[in-house]
Amino acid sequence: MFHNSSQRKYWIFKSEDEVEHMRCKANHKFRNKILESGKPGVSESMFLERHEEDVLFRHYERRLLDFCNAFKPAMPKSVVGTAIMYFRRFYLNNSIMEYHPRIIMLTCAYLSCKVDEFNVSSTQFVGNLLQESPAGQERVLEQILEYELLLIQQLNFHLVVHNPYRPMEGLLIDLKTRYPTLESPESLRKSADDFLTQATMTDAGLLFPPSQIALTAVLNSASRAGLSMESYLTECMGLREDKETLSKMYDSMRRMKTLLKKYELPKSEEVNPYKQRLERIHAEFATSSNKRKRGYEEDGHVAKEPRLAEEEWTDEDLL
Amino acid sequence: MEQYSILGRIGEGAHGIVFKAKHIETGETVALKKVALRRLEDGIPNQALREIKALQEIEDNQHVVKLKDVFPHGTGFVLVFDFMLSDLSEVIRNSQRPLTPAQVKGYMMMLLKGVAFLHHNNIMHRDLKPANLLISSSGHLKIADFGLARLFSEQGERLYSHQVATRWYRAPELLYGARKYDEGVDLWAVGCIFGELLNSSPLFPGENDIEQLCCVLRVLGTPTQESWPEIVELPDYNKITFKENPAIPLEEIVPDTCPQAVDLLYKFLVYPSKQRCSARQALLHPYFFSSPLPAHHSELPIPQRGGRPPRQRLQAPPTDFSVDLPLQNSVVDPALLQGHASCL
Repeated sequence: MFHNSSQRKYWIFKSEDEVEHMRCKANHKFRNKILESGKPGVSESMFLERHEEDVLFRHYERRLLDFCNAFKPAMPKSVVGTAIMYFRRFYLNNSIMEYHPRIIMLTCAYLSCKVDEFNVSSTQFVGNLLQESPAGQERVLEQILEYELLLIQQLNFHLVVHNPYRPMEGLLIDLKTRYPTLESPESLRKSADDFLTQATMTDAGLLFPPSQIALTAVLNSASRAGLSMESYLTECMGLREDKETLSKMYDSMRRMKTLLKKYELPKSEEVNPYKQRLERIHAEFATSSNKRKRGYEEDGHVAKEPRLAEEEWTDEDLL
Repeated sequence: MEQYSILGRIGEGAHGIVFKAKHIETGETVALKKVALRRLEDGIPNQALREIKALQEIEDNQHVVKLKDVFPHGTGFVLVFDFMLSDLSEVIRNSQRPLTPAQVKGYMMMLLKGVAFLHHNNIMHRDLKPANLLISSSGHLKIADFGLARLFSEQGERLYSHQVATRWYRAPELLYGARKYDEGVDLWAVGCIFGELLNSSPLFPGENDIEQLCCVLRVLGTPTQESWPEIVELPDYNKITFKENPAIPLEEIVPDTCPQAVDLLYKFLVYPSKQRCSARQALLHPYFFSSPLPAHHSELPIPQRGGRPPRQRLQAPPTDFSVDLPLQNSVVDPALLQGHASCL
């Protein structure tokens, strides 16, 4: 149940500002760490600014979505939703300069498959990296397994994600049974689904409970079809007398729509220069490699050879 | 890990070693379940993920073991649980005399409360058995080992594995290879545990999967399309046929048992999963409201780990207490005290 979930307790934040503040903090944390390390030749200008990070984040998030959508066997929506939510949660407290999103995104998808009981073997999973040779796939898998523990730790071991897909099914059933005013609730599905997909690419899931996202999706779909569903809220949901809840709800819906409207997929001209800087940062500082190997070195399983191969594959190879 | 000092080894679980340890700051005794990730092809094992997943999302319940903490350690991570003295399989194995009807009732009530709570939270345990029912030092029963637990809230499209549950407690639909099933598999197991508490020996001790089915069919009778309509849809239904035999009345399977207990047992051990009595419903069964009433947890035996004989905590068995006995029997005769107490 969402009500007593870790999502509600720990991963729903008060405002857009709070979320942005966390990301700024992660950005600064990384900068300060490098600056304090006293490495020669380090200058502030090498780092990515917050808004630059954000461009790259959206770029990789989109790649994650594409990877999931192209996955064979077809990945259930909830698995995709969970993977993207992991990705968002991970980079609330970590900078992409510290952990490369190229590998974190795959680790998120891998963990999400397991947690959501979408059972594919690890070989099958990396088999979806079509551009990779079998040896390359093997290498990626090693890295995924290396990062899995870090990921689950950064998620604070909170694994269950409540996606808005089930609440949406529930709402459609409710509309069919209790709201005869609406002739064919099914006709709302297509555009509501699109809304939910777009919503996963925003902070909506970090700010609102899944049921509210679903409700917004349905109401938005209705209003696009020129239908008013206000009486559903006032009559069926019993909010006629409860003006306060009703106005709060309208406010949440407005905020959600703003989030979706603001979303833009970054263009490749914009992405490429930042990406080069990101690669340089990772090549130069490679701080993450020490950290993530922690605990794995002694058993010689994952880190059996030096990570020289790592930079040989770029994210262009992934899809 | 520095927060704990290891006191000893408790045992080996499905995904790692379990240690007894002391939380240095609070002095609390806990069980640490170490999940190592060494040489695992698929990374963090599903069993560990399921356990964390199920236990992170539920509120505290008196009859479900509490996951106190999870933290990374070395090549893996550590799950921290309340330390529990024993489990129900040891209680059954080590009790010198059969459990009293009141004690059986006490255990059943705690088990059903735990199962009702899990099912209410959309969690199927899928591996209920006496060894997974831990007993605390205060005599409380707590459901543990969520390595197979699964949320059943998703839409019914996806298939589950039928290779779940320990054989003796595996529901007949699983034995027939069902890939779509429900929390009824837990209720079947509850029935098996109930029978085992009554008899002090397992109800269906099959030596292999085929024999397991034999054991069940021998007691419940060969299923027919009337008694179990869904059976024709089960994957392995046509693969195996048994000689027809009628059902044996459960009174004969659990002899010397009160009729209400037998009636409740009948409600769990039925073929169609949907007809099994839910845990919540079962708690309202007259069995729990008739004499002898369920034993209080302080009246239950607590064997030590390692199979030492049970420590009898009360001198007199609690069943000796009765409100009908004259009060004089239990008070001290003033005449005996006279020589020692001057105020008398």
